[in-house]
Amino acid sequence: MVDLDHKGWRIFASPLVGFLLLFLGFPILIDLVYSLSRVSFTNLRSPEIVGFGNYGEVLGDAQFWRASWFSLRFGVITAILECVLGLGLAVFLSPLIEKRSWLMAPLMLPLMVAPAMIGLMYRLVLHEFVGPVPYYLYLWFGDSPSFLNAENAFWTLVVVETLQWTPFALLLFYTAYRAIPNDVREASAIDGASARQILTAIELPLMRPTLIFTFFIRFIDGFRVFDNVYTLTGSGPGGSTTSLPIYIYEAFFKQGAIGKAIAASVILFLASFVGLYALTWLSRRGKGAAS
Amino acid sequence: MLKFTKITLSALALITTSLGAANAAVTVLGWPGGSEETALRAVAEAYNAQSGVADADKVELLFYSRDGFYDKLQADMAAGSSAFDINLLATYSIGRYASYMEPVDLGPDAAKVFGESVLKTMQFNGKQYGVPTDLSLHFMYYRKDLIDALLADPAARAKYAEISEKYLGRRLEPKAPDSWTWDDWAATALYFAKSVNPESPVRYGTVLQMKNLLFNIMVWQSVARANGGDWMDASGNITIDSPAYRTALELYKKLYDAGASPKDSLSYEYAETNAAFGSGQVATALQWNAAASELTDPAKSPAVAENVGIVAPPAGSAGRADHIHGLGLGINKNAKNKPGAAKFLQWLATEDTALLYARSGGSPALLPDVAAKIAKERPDLVTLGQYAGAYGYVMTGATSASAFPVYELQAKEFTGYWSGQETLDEALANTKAGMEKLLKQ
Amino acid sequence: MIKLARWIVYAVAALALNFPVIVTLLTSFKSGKEISVNPGFWISSPTLENYATVLQVSDRLNIFAYLFNSLAASLIGTVLAMIITFPAAYAIARGRYGRKVLMPLIVNLRAVPLIIFAIPLYMMFQFAGLLDTQLGLGLILTIVNLPLSLIVFVNAIAEVPIEIDEAAKLDGMSKWGIMKGMMLPVCRPALATVFIFGFITAWNEFLFGLMLTSNRAVPMTVGASFFFAASGGGIQWGAASAVMIVGALPPMLIGIIMYRQISGSMTAGAVKG
Repeated sequence: MVDLDHKGWRIFASPLVGFLLLFLGFPILIDLVYSLSRVSFTNLRSPEIVGFGNYGEVLGDAQFWRASWFSLRFGVITAILECVLGLGLAVFLSPLIEKRSWLMAPLMLPLMVAPAMIGLMYRLVLHEFVGPVPYYLYLWFGDSPSFLNAENAFWTLVVVETLQWTPFALLLFYTAYRAIPNDVREASAIDGASARQILTAIELPLMRPTLIFTFFIRFIDGFRVFDNVYTLTGSGPGGSTTSLPIYIYEAFFKQGAIGKAIAASVILFLASFVGLYALTWLSRRGKGAAS
Repeated sequence: MLKFTKITLSALALITTSLGAANAAVTVLGWPGGSEETALRAVAEAYNAQSGVADADKVELLFYSRDGFYDKLQADMAAGSSAFDINLLATYSIGRYASYMEPVDLGPDAAKVFGESVLKTMQFNGKQYGVPTDLSLHFMYYRKDLIDALLADPAARAKYAEISEKYLGRRLEPKAPDSWTWDDWAATALYFAKSVNPESPVRYGTVLQMKNLLFNIMVWQSVARANGGDWMDASGNITIDSPAYRTALELYKKLYDAGASPKDSLSYEYAETNAAFGSGQVATALQWNAAASELTDPAKSPAVAENVGIVAPPAGSAGRADHIHGLGLGINKNAKNKPGAAKFLQWLATEDTALLYARSGGSPALLPDVAAKIAKERPDLVTLGQYAGAYGYVMTGATSASAFPVYELQAKEFTGYWSGQETLDEALANTKAGMEKLLKQ
Repeated sequence: MIKLARWIVYAVAALALNFPVIVTLLTSFKSGKEISVNPGFWISSPTLENYATVLQVSDRLNIFAYLFNSLAASLIGTVLAMIITFPAAYAIARGRYGRKVLMPLIVNLRAVPLIIFAIPLYMMFQFAGLLDTQLGLGLILTIVNLPLSLIVFVNAIAEVPIEIDEAAKLDGMSKWGIMKGMMLPVCRPALATVFIFGFITAWNEFLFGLMLTSNRAVPMTVGASFFFAASGGGIQWGAASAVMIVGALPPMLIGIIMYRQISGSMTAGAVKG
């Protein structure tokens, strides 16, 4: 039974709504005006309204689409890698960690360091003359590849991101996995199910909400990647490591094209609304088909 | 949980009752880290110690993070911040900030200390916006031991000639670095690259900083300038698609593709370049003058310090060229204490202060007779002044309000060419179109 | 046998995931001279000079002030976000209130680079005197933390059997009463999760810290970058490493303390099944 007393619920949401109005109401309004204006840092207080030109400019900018593609690819690939690795580790290591919960702490460490700093640190780690990775590669194999040229930078960044954020997935998956009551497992074991069968038939379905949630969060975070990429490669040779937020940041601060930067954000915002609605619709349909 | 929340909140309330800062009279926003900060601290202390300076005119220093410094400064200035009375400005950003700043009269003596050409690095539309404090340009750093060995060995000279013919189309003889042309340098870089010459004693002939970053374009563009390149001509036409720019862009690509520079050069900037040269595996590097102290210090660069040679950048068909830009200090339009700020800047522009600034580690560009007074303590300043005077240049349009975005655009397009994602024609066409849009505003 | 395999996998995972952290830790004990000639994993002459540099308070560099600013701003940014999203999450999960607009709006805030609000927020803060204050930065961090906080709470409340609400309602409890008395305790793992991740996110934020502070409220991430270039144009890798390690300690500590909340309530979570 769902309580649809709309008015009664309003008060529960009011602190959040009030906060949003107070802190983002004015900025959103200003930004909408800016997105329709010719505006740079010199005329912030007197933007010249020109209509939808900024939107046209963004949609016609090949670099915008390239950045969108980078973000999409980066988000999907890192989210998949993080979830697969995180799930594998959570399930496989669960018997160890269950008995000694401190074992979790070292695995959580990467989350504690700011991504901007991690990106900076990789400038040292991957440096051909002072970085340990090329040093040992030279020592053992006599050569070391280019990590950050236009072809390889994407995959290097994927590894950087995955190493830092797999622990996020691991922690959530482990928590969900441990939350499955043991009697459920035992009952299936008595019925003669193998460990793998229990995993695929019982445990994974029970973890489904967490799996979806984690994948979703990691996808968004991968899509909007900024700090570590920006400190490591910047926007990359020829703009090859420009994620959408980097595109927007550079348009905003480096080119002073504020209207264009905000128009790009509005487009991103609308696109993610569409994506989110589509997702909800799909999952509802999926559920409907299952029942 | 609720209790926990309550405790946290009351703790927060305590914490956030702001601790009103001591309001100094003249706040100076300086360039953080490095010798500029050390020198500024020294002169500020000396200024405050003077008996003639009222409490209301004493200076207090403020520094931001070096990462994102200009983004932050731009937001501050555009929003009309009064957090500082005096702020940093640079030749390449002067057009961007002039509208938020107040011109300053430095008095007639300033020209006798710095000279007109250096004062010009702080001028916009004919008005003086700041005191030039430090000058930046580039040196060609090289390994004396390696070059000497090359010059002395006939077999090596033959190999050198062979390599230069194969890669550059001309048989070149090794020469002393101070008479290098860009081709001589390129031949040297190729000779010392293991991928070209497996017998090379070091891994690479040079280290090119090719990250998509505006400062790297400043380093590189002296190659174009030495061949006669410029952003635009006298009537304002963009002249970027010129033989000079083509030659210079192709030269870097040739060296990078041949393996004369480290594989990850496309992600290298100042720090990476220093580390590479300092490792002892690189024969030459075109790098900022600021790196000299680190590269020649045995405690910081033990592998090379004893053998570092420094000359002006090589010559091209139009002679030698060395990018210069000045850092300086000027008055914020929204300053709370403009007379106090002006007083400090005028004092900074006097000969005694400039000498104190130099002695404290700063790198002011001084006229020869002024520099001579500290030649013993700072011989590098004599070199700096010499190079700046003889080879220094600023591209036409490189002080305009759009200079920053133009550099950004070039960085993106040129690295696109160097990394093989664009052809030379595409990169130049895109740059030209973009610059026309930016510079005609 | 399988146990040995688990230990091996654990060790490999711990080393691989922490690789950059390990390098940072090692680098923090090397002198500048050694960093330039020895990239390896051993340290020939370990030194504490980097930590001495970082921990020394000078008139410009004050790591304790940065740590304190970050702590204050991050706590505001985490706790305030939790306080305002929890009731909203309850309304969304139980009353389907705001499912069409409010929820997607907040979720999408995570996808959009918030830096586009920098200029209007800067002006607002200038007007309200919130520039360069811990409270101001904390309020921004609250915005940053809203999406994750809301999603986690909505999911957590949705998993609590609705029979609990119904029973409580029959007992005459109000909705507020149910939320405070029943939901909050049951959702303890979710609260801990949000607190940990919210705090880490807030602690590690850089851009707004850079834009909205200049002197008094500079947070750790921005303060840390002061050390990188602290004596020259290049990067002082030793000092940078030391400051990163010191800067990572507080979230580490909070993570360890709060992790017990998650694992400790695991048995309580069994109610769900």
